[in-house]
Amino acid sequence: MLEVSKLRRDFGGLTAVHDLTFKVEAGEIVGLIGPNGAGKTTTFSMLAGFIPPTSGDIVFQGKSILGLKPHQVCKLGVTRTFQIVQPFPDMTILENVMVGAYARYTGTVDARRKALEVLERVNLAHKANTLGKNLNLLELKRLEIGKALATEPSLLLLDEVAAGLKDAEVDNILVLVRQLNKEGITFLIVEHLMKVIMNLSHRVIVLDFGQMIAQGTPDEITKDPAVLEAYLGKEA
Amino acid sequence: MKPLLKNSSILLAVILLVALTLPLYAGEYYIHIGVMVLFYAYMAVAWNILGGYAGQHSLGHSLFMGIGAYTSTYLFSVMGITPWLGMWVGGALAGVMGLFVGYLCFRYGLKGPYFALVTIALAEAAVYIATNAEGIGGAQGLSVAWTGNAPEMMQFNGKGGYYYVILVMTVAAIVLSTWIIRRRFGYQLLAVRENEDAAEALGVDTLRVKVQASIISAMLTALGGTFFAQYFTYINPRNVFGEGPSIQILLFAIIGGLGTVWGPVVGALVLVPVAELSRGWLGGSFSGAHILLYGTVMVLVMLFMPNGIVGLYEKIRQRIQNRNEKSEVA
Ligand SMILES: Nc1ncnc2c1ncn2[C@@H]1O[C@H](COP(=O)(O)OP(=O)(O)O)[C@@H](O)[C@H]1O
Ligand SMILES: [Mg+2]
Repeated sequence: MLEVSKLRRDFGGLTAVHDLTFKVEAGEIVGLIGPNGAGKTTTFSMLAGFIPPTSGDIVFQGKSILGLKPHQVCKLGVTRTFQIVQPFPDMTILENVMVGAYARYTGTVDARRKALEVLERVNLAHKANTLGKNLNLLELKRLEIGKALATEPSLLLLDEVAAGLKDAEVDNILVLVRQLNKEGITFLIVEHLMKVIMNLSHRVIVLDFGQMIAQGTPDEITKDPAVLEAYLGKEA
Repeated sequence: MKPLLKNSSILLAVILLVALTLPLYAGEYYIHIGVMVLFYAYMAVAWNILGGYAGQHSLGHSLFMGIGAYTSTYLFSVMGITPWLGMWVGGALAGVMGLFVGYLCFRYGLKGPYFALVTIALAEAAVYIATNAEGIGGAQGLSVAWTGNAPEMMQFNGKGGYYYVILVMTVAAIVLSTWIIRRRFGYQLLAVRENEDAAEALGVDTLRVKVQASIISAMLTALGGTFFAQYFTYINPRNVFGEGPSIQILLFAIIGGLGTVWGPVVGALVLVPVAELSRGWLGGSFSGAHILLYGTVMVLVMLFMPNGIVGLYEKIRQRIQNRNEKSEVA
């Protein structure tokens, strides 16, 4: 479904992502992990069309999406969420999600119906008429997922949606993602919480200094010496 | 919430009734104030589509007003073409200009103060060009030839005729603005204002919707420019392309409440009479006093109503609603 080849992004002298090559198959949940500054968010930004790669290629469903703008990438079925939540503060939660729904539905009646459906799924239906600026962090994280879901993506890129949440709240998100995956959405997930990655991912890709240092099932990854070294320092 | 909703539609009906009948009982002076209220309400509603909905604060909307005023006046005075037609030619030209300005600025990611500065510069350039273009009257400007009481030429004896023209234009603009904000395009504009990156990520073609808003806003503003020329029968580079009208227009929108349908209307409804009446009452005796009063009112509004008059109203409404909900639960 997604084929990334030799993807690279320089910021001045710094190479944030270094010749990264990987694939995501339809139906998978792929985890993308790595220490802070490893280049995960930069990778997402390139996949979603927010920043142009320095070199390399991104192929989605057989076609290169290089050079497309984010809204075009979204229309093709790839939607990202933001690590730092980005609500529309002076719009209600329903309106926030409707903006996403309008990517697929031009009529307001349809967009509203879709948005209400999504709000039920992300447990925000009771907040439909609250303004974006009046939500707490948990609600904002759910809204972030809700807005993206409303665009009916086939590939959803989640950037640390569980960060900062309590255990029970994290569990809610795990259940939601697993359910959505069953319904056919493919996921690429960046997450710091190992619990999330280990529980959800069919396959994990490990980045360090912009390069892939390992990939495999969650079990394989936790035993990989290179990964242990990246995460725990030189003692391994 | 129900009773309040009912109240506001009653209020709306009363205002509309007063607005419709005003020329029947008011003197010329008060009709003039009515014309000014409606004119600025109209212009502020037009500005608000780009400035309020899309959040792109143009400080040079006089550019479009001037294009409208000059086009219809030139066509009328030099070629005898009725302003009813000329206004659409002006509107089309302004639309092209709105496309040009919008595309130029937004394509290169100009935002906030940078966009505002470019719009000021373009309007100033228009003042300069018009001042030096002898074909359109140069610094002297153009007079609208008087053809007698001729509704087909948008000319009327007395102010009542003008009043009804601008009333229809304003109602139409409010209807258009309401229609826009309730559909996809409107939601996308608000999303752009609120957070452009998030909007793009959700499939909003932010460049496209901003440029579209710029075109619509420019066209509407130009139609207002034609009305201005017909009403005052005289235009020059400063009074239509200058910074005066640009600032006036956006003041009403900001003070009334940015980005809401009614904010610009309420702003003009409250402030224009203050400006006109204080000029009438105080202008003669203490010159400058009316500006002082006007300025004071504006500062007070900005201090105590950071979200404009409509923003304050919304806040009060929310409070009442919350209290009602609580008492229902209890
Ligand atoms: N816009 C930018 N300009 C300069 N450097 C950047 C920019 N974005 C990210 N970086 C740098 O690129 C590296 C990777 O960052 P990022 O992708 O955010 O990492 P991660 O999400 O894995 O924590 C970091 O060193 C970061 O400082
Ligand atoms: Mg990150």
